[in-house]
Amino acid sequence: MTAGSQRRLAELTCRILETVLPASQQAWGRAIRHETAAIPDDALALRFALGSLAGLLPQALAARATAWLSADSEPIAPAPGGTIVMSQHKPFAPDLRKLGMLCAAGAVALGIVHLALTGAPLRYLGLNLGALLIGLSLLGLLGSTPPAIRRHDGLALVAAAGALLATGALGETAEGAARWVRWGGLSLQPSLILIPVMILAFTRQPGRLGTAGMIGAALAMAIQPDRAMAAALALGLAVASAWRPGRQAGLACAASFLALGATLLRADRLPAVPHVDRILFTAFELPSLAGLAALGGSALLLVPAIVGWRRDPAHRGTYAAFGAVWGTAIAAAALGNYPTPVVGYGGSAILGYLLSLATFPRPTPSTAGHDTPGQDPAEATPFDQPLPLGLA
Amino acid sequence: MVRSRALSPHARMVLAVLLAARGTWSHGYELARLAGVKSGTLYPLLIRLEAQGLLEAEWQQPTERGRPPRHAYRLTAQGIELARTTAAEAGEPRAASARQATT
Repeated sequence: MTAGSQRRLAELTCRILETVLPASQQAWGRAIRHETAAIPDDALALRFALGSLAGLLPQALAARATAWLSADSEPIAPAPGGTIVMSQHKPFAPDLRKLGMLCAAGAVALGIVHLALTGAPLRYLGLNLGALLIGLSLLGLLGSTPPAIRRHDGLALVAAAGALLATGALGETAEGAARWVRWGGLSLQPSLILIPVMILAFTRQPGRLGTAGMIGAALAMAIQPDRAMAAALALGLAVASAWRPGRQAGLACAASFLALGATLLRADRLPAVPHVDRILFTAFELPSLAGLAALGGSALLLVPAIVGWRRDPAHRGTYAAFGAVWGTAIAAAALGNYPTPVVGYGGSAILGYLLSLATFPRPTPSTAGHDTPGQDPAEATPFDQPLPLGLA
Repeated sequence: MVRSRALSPHARMVLAVLLAARGTWSHGYELARLAGVKSGTLYPLLIRLEAQGLLEAEWQQPTERGRPPRHAYRLTAQGIELARTTAAEAGEPRAASARQATT
């Protein structure tokens, strides 16, 4: 990594930290960015910035989650006649998409810390960051999809299954596996992008077309073959069928378990790819910061499922399926040579994670206020201007 | 005095370095270097110390043109008291001899 790249990455790391810190601590984020800028040595500056991010990210996310979780409770005005004042719960207004986006950003940031500390090429870091930005943009677009278009979920599931089958038949192959497609010089894994969102869409609205789509996806996982995503599909559909028992969900679930069985019968000889596979497996062998970043980033991915289950009982099926899919993908990455979602190098899982958030229920309007950060003398310096992205 | 729980060895080292500064302002990178702690340990600690009223922070204008302002830190009277008590309890050598002058 060149000195200039290290300096830019240090600056970017500080900007990410500043963004994720709660309003009450953003002055500290600026302090760290300015302190990093004052360190003459580029490598030391990068280490300082990455260390700060890793040290403060957990408490920043915890502070934001705490603020968010307490946002639905506020005191009410005293009732006439001197009644005892108690807290009152407003209509529940969670924004789990935002929480999911925050968790995705945190996991990508921790992944970047891990990749940087383990000597990954700079373009790996840039690609993960780029995938995050693209995924957030796509989620923004899908989030405003009118309900009329959502009625065609079944057709979309069939189309997605077609794409997965085409990948299995015509995609890039390695050691007998055909899981990838080349696009713009990059090798994408469509199953990581499509399977999670397919499962969640099916959980929300199973139907004949959707069932056909899920059976097609199961067949594709058996053809490719891909044990990790076949397992994610099977467990996700098991949750879906438990949540909405019925013939359609049962058929899809049975097909997915048959597909998983088929993948287990076939040998998987793919070697581990550095910075992609076996990251969690080796987390405890690495220097503490790199290992902790990998574990912390993976744990963050499951936070929306846990919080959603606890805070939004009406949609527990969605959150349970989300947790089952991503939990299985993480477990598979810990046990075998499969990509470590979001934390490891690879944009497919980042896109897949963010797209799967689009199936989360829309939040009800909230009147919760926003913190207003205080100004400080450093606020108006040129160092506080937006950062032009340019890592490579 | 605010002292809700036992201080970690890192916290004791940072307090010792700040105490040795004798009221002059210190910067984050220098503090981390002198106390032998990583930035990821230092800043959560500084945030906690400031929230407890043991540390004060100020923005210092740059001495060179084109450089950003820097955040600087020093112990409050309460912080000095805690640092002295901690150093006495632990019998640790204070970091005065190891510390360079700060702005």
